[in-house]
Amino acid sequence: MQDLLNVVTLGSIYLLFALGMALVWGTIGILNFAHGATFMFSAFVGHLVTRETELPFLPVVAVSVLVGAAIAALTQLLAFQPILKRSKNQHAAEMRILIGGIGVAAIPLALAQHQTRSSPFGFNSSYDAEVMDVFGLRLTTTSAVIIVSGLAIGIGLTVWVRRSRQGLALRAIGVDAETAAGMGVNRTALAFGTMATAGALAGLAGALLTFQLGAIAPETGDQLLIKAFAIIVLGGLGSMAGTVIGAYVLAGAETLVLNLNYGTWVDAVSFGLIFLILLARPQGLLGRKEVRRT
Amino acid sequence: MSDWYAMNVVLIQTTLTTLLLALSIQVPIRFGVFSFAGVGAFGIGGYTAAIAMVHLGWTTWPSVALGAVLAGVVVFALGLVVQRLTGLYMGMATIAFTLIVSVVAVNGGELTGGPGGLFGALGEIDTGHILAVVVVVVAVLVWTEAKGMGRRVDTVREDPELATAMGIDVARYRLASFAISGVIGGLAGAITTLLRSTITPAEVNFHMVVLALTAIIVGGARSWLGAFIGAVIFVWLPTVISFVQEWEKVVYGFLVAVAAIYLPNGVLGLIKDLVHRLRTRQERARMAVLQEKG
Repeated sequence: MQDLLNVVTLGSIYLLFALGMALVWGTIGILNFAHGATFMFSAFVGHLVTRETELPFLPVVAVSVLVGAAIAALTQLLAFQPILKRSKNQHAAEMRILIGGIGVAAIPLALAQHQTRSSPFGFNSSYDAEVMDVFGLRLTTTSAVIIVSGLAIGIGLTVWVRRSRQGLALRAIGVDAETAAGMGVNRTALAFGTMATAGALAGLAGALLTFQLGAIAPETGDQLLIKAFAIIVLGGLGSMAGTVIGAYVLAGAETLVLNLNYGTWVDAVSFGLIFLILLARPQGLLGRKEVRRT
Repeated sequence: MSDWYAMNVVLIQTTLTTLLLALSIQVPIRFGVFSFAGVGAFGIGGYTAAIAMVHLGWTTWPSVALGAVLAGVVVFALGLVVQRLTGLYMGMATIAFTLIVSVVAVNGGELTGGPGGLFGALGEIDTGHILAVVVVVVAVLVWTEAKGMGRRVDTVREDPELATAMGIDVARYRLASFAISGVIGGLAGAITTLLRSTITPAEVNFHMVVLALTAIIVGGARSWLGAFIGAVIFVWLPTVISFVQEWEKVVYGFLVAVAAIYLPNGVLGLIKDLVHRLRTRQERARMAVLQEKG
């Protein structure tokens, strides 16, 4: 049972991270490779700020969320938007956005590595995690916050994309960007907002994971990026509910491998999942949209 | 000249091996396949050559050949499995493949040396040997870039439907690009490993994908010459500007992002555009003179 609780905590972290990526990729069609770097750098700025002054829990999280949103918005404004404007077709744009994202991601990563000499960093916070006893299980307050916010935001976003007018507009862009624009959807503004939201989620995940683990390394973001990709592919691109399920499935599978004493193979779980799903069911568990094929 | 060569022999060798690695990523992209499997092939080739030398007691060139062939076969098999994927899905599946290679190397026990890697595989390779390999590889690639073959490859990339209509077997061309990329990547890995005498799992990581991408995106993705320009810029820039040395990764990230946005065809594309414009202007001037006379 304790394992199950750990799975839910881990899955919620994955979920918070993957939701932003899934939202951006599934709607405005941008696979943001800088998402991992955004995640890491928001936590890193939190680290820099708390090095100056000790802060309680919420302000640190707020700093990270704001920094995450700012980085993602800047990425959209300075890199992805110009690429979209200059690309002839969707296929070329996808590739250039992927490559541009890889380039953008290298900058914050290198800055953080330069500052920390690639060693892990944490927060200097007045917050101390307390251990609660829930039905005989150990649950830290940090884990509780992670689980609650992960589930709440996951379900909230799912419902929002399905029910609200903006969600409808976003899904319309995901199906056919040109027709959506013809129907009066302001694609540029929506894309900007979506990216900023995704960045904020990355910042939230960064702050919460750093509180949970005590410290994270600059490279943590890269590993999470591949895991998030596995989660999105597993759940089905464009399906928010699929992302929620995928996050917990991946966390469960990884914990299982870890408990079977194959610890060094843990990373291979997500890579293997990407492979299996792409080959056996390319639309994912809950996806409806077919993978484009030539 | 010989003094200069003696001082920079390591840099010259690194330029050549970087060129090979960059070519292994560039070939599939030129065929319209967004595959990063070349970096995985680098790992397979490097490990195979090192194992052949350390455990089997083979000499240098049979080891290199075994590494290149095995990498080619494995990547070709990967191509058979993932060939129906397109665009981003292909990119991520091949990144997953590359990272799986590294996880397998970590778990290879005595054979691969585990996380510490393999040591003591020092081959007898000098610059002349590497240059010969590079010349052969480039000669093959020039053949795929020139005349009818070049046009067929361009069509397979730019418009697969048109290519099929013209009687070109698109699937076969794409599979061939996997095999070529695997062999070149394997050569790069085997030669690099036997030059340095060591290989570790940490080398076959996401960072190496970024390095190879940097070279071809900055140089130019359409021709081997672009990869060469990229490899030269990438290897020599830190030695020329010390500022670059300290902030190496930041500069590269910035270069990749800028190239993805403004120079989709790299420095080579820029040069070609300039030459083209210059010629057009000369031609116009000539025509104007002729008209005045007439």
